[in-house]
Amino acid sequence: MSRPATNFNEREFTICQVARVVEEKYIYWVGAGGEPQSSVLLAKRTTAPNLQYFTEDGVIGPEALLPLDPLMNMVNSFANYRAIQWATMNYVADLAQLGYVDYGILNTLQVDRYGNINSNVVGRYAGGEGRRFGGPGGADSIAALAWRTILVTDQHKRKFVERVDFISSPGFLDGPGARERHGLPPGTGPWRVYTPWAMFGYTKDCQLELQAIAPYVPAEDVLAEMSFKPAIAAKLEVMDVPTEEELTVLRTQIDVAGQVTDRGRWVELSNGTYRFADSGS
Amino acid sequence: MHILEEGKGEYLKVDPDAYRAWARDNKPHQMVSKLMSEKEAVERFVHDGDYLAYDCDYFHRGPNSLIREIIRQRKKNLWICGKFTYVDCSLFVGSECADRIDVGFIGFGPWISQAVREKKVAIYEYSNAIMTLRLKAGAMGVPFIPARSFGGTDGFKYSGCKIVEDPYTGRPVLIVPALNPDAAIIHVHQADEYGNARVFGTGITHQECALASRRVILSAEQIVSTDELRRDPGRTSIPHFAVDAVVHAPFGAYPGTVQGYYASDPAGVIEVMGAMYKGNFRNYLEKHIYSVSSHAEYLDKVVGAAKLAEMRRRETIREGYGI
Repeated sequence: MSRPATNFNEREFTICQVARVVEEKYIYWVGAGGEPQSSVLLAKRTTAPNLQYFTEDGVIGPEALLPLDPLMNMVNSFANYRAIQWATMNYVADLAQLGYVDYGILNTLQVDRYGNINSNVVGRYAGGEGRRFGGPGGADSIAALAWRTILVTDQHKRKFVERVDFISSPGFLDGPGARERHGLPPGTGPWRVYTPWAMFGYTKDCQLELQAIAPYVPAEDVLAEMSFKPAIAAKLEVMDVPTEEELTVLRTQIDVAGQVTDRGRWVELSNGTYRFADSGS
Repeated sequence: MHILEEGKGEYLKVDPDAYRAWARDNKPHQMVSKLMSEKEAVERFVHDGDYLAYDCDYFHRGPNSLIREIIRQRKKNLWICGKFTYVDCSLFVGSECADRIDVGFIGFGPWISQAVREKKVAIYEYSNAIMTLRLKAGAMGVPFIPARSFGGTDGFKYSGCKIVEDPYTGRPVLIVPALNPDAAIIHVHQADEYGNARVFGTGITHQECALASRRVILSAEQIVSTDELRRDPGRTSIPHFAVDAVVHAPFGAYPGTVQGYYASDPAGVIEVMGAMYKGNFRNYLEKHIYSVSSHAEYLDKVVGAAKLAEMRRRETIREGYGI
């Protein structure tokens, strides 16, 4: 069952990558819905059955009964089934503020060189000119208070920008020491960014660094889908593709209706190499 | 205290002494019955120009029958506490009930975006947890609370928060202004006629919301006896003296879910989401709000008994909900 898959889409790839770094020895605060929640649910059903995560409605360590109805990711009996504790938003924020949250997992509209996160507006903020989105929601608390933050987004030029149009949730702001100067707890901050094409970490001076690529995309294509040139690790790793087991769990238990995964390009194994199924022969 | 940085957003005036006087003079200290219709409750306790808070949202144990009644009564100039919410703010803006929103997270559809560009609605920026912390400060009777988040963001610049030098550690720390809304609407699982109430499962900020707000309306799935509540006092989430009105509202959170009682109606959820994004909001308001005179009539004529039975049937989980 755990052999490498020969057919999957980009979003499934990302969810599997993030699920693989999730470990039982840590506590996670997860943005509800989308890839972040799918990743922890996948980890819980594969490698980390005793995994504990919070969502911002105050659920502590649930064992969600799947699948969930559309938009029913929180304050919901299925998402919050058999939790260790039921509480409220202030309680979860307090736990994070106390230092219990090892990792946060989030997605974003835009990310910049310093890992700052924008979920408020694309374009100009003033006068309501730009295209407006929902706001930070719980992401600001996660990005500020979790020891390490994992970000999930798509590999697009418009998403990887030199400076986000609006800092909704803090990355490293403008470099070492900036978080502390603005009252955020020391030792916290961005850890990795996952996209369907690549994985990024950060350099010692808090700048985004390309560290790994998917086997179906060359590094130059990743860089072409960024508005700035990131640091590049001395040795670029190539990430493993999803296994058949991961995809089976994801497709039959977690994202049964394709609400999260039914958007990416398809990848297939062809003559021994992985490539986009729509790329021609 | 030395201020290092401050946001320039307008915020509801902070005055814990005024709230104490209100709690002494206007809150119902004696146990008196407060059962009434949603029409009477909203007429008496939600006024034009109020700062309005609600707990949870249109999809998750939201006080939706009260939200619809506020819109039906065409309240004006409300300032909305927009945390952990999706379509609700679009309903308030699309119906021209609201002109200011404190945003933690809201669904911005074309309605709100256009209203912001036309300067019909002012937006102030926060995060969800900063808004619930503001309510917590309001519920503690203090003027502000420190937080270790929200500093360094652009939202901070458009908020009422400040960064000060912590007088104890000497390090920078953010403070949030206490929030004492004029009115709050909260949907609960069970309440007695006096307003002692139980909320089961997770919640956003029902207790803080009730204690921080000057006028509080509860809608309840079930009206239970005070004796029933006294059998298990640890489960009482909200005490009667914080509450001004109790409305019996079975399926009050339609089309959303109430944990343990009923699942959401996915078609109803998608219908209002679609209205928010595609801009046929007037049709939605007409069908779901203006065309009926009460929540009971809405359930009877618009939603229908078959759908409600289906929502009950689909909520298969009872464990943990006291039923």
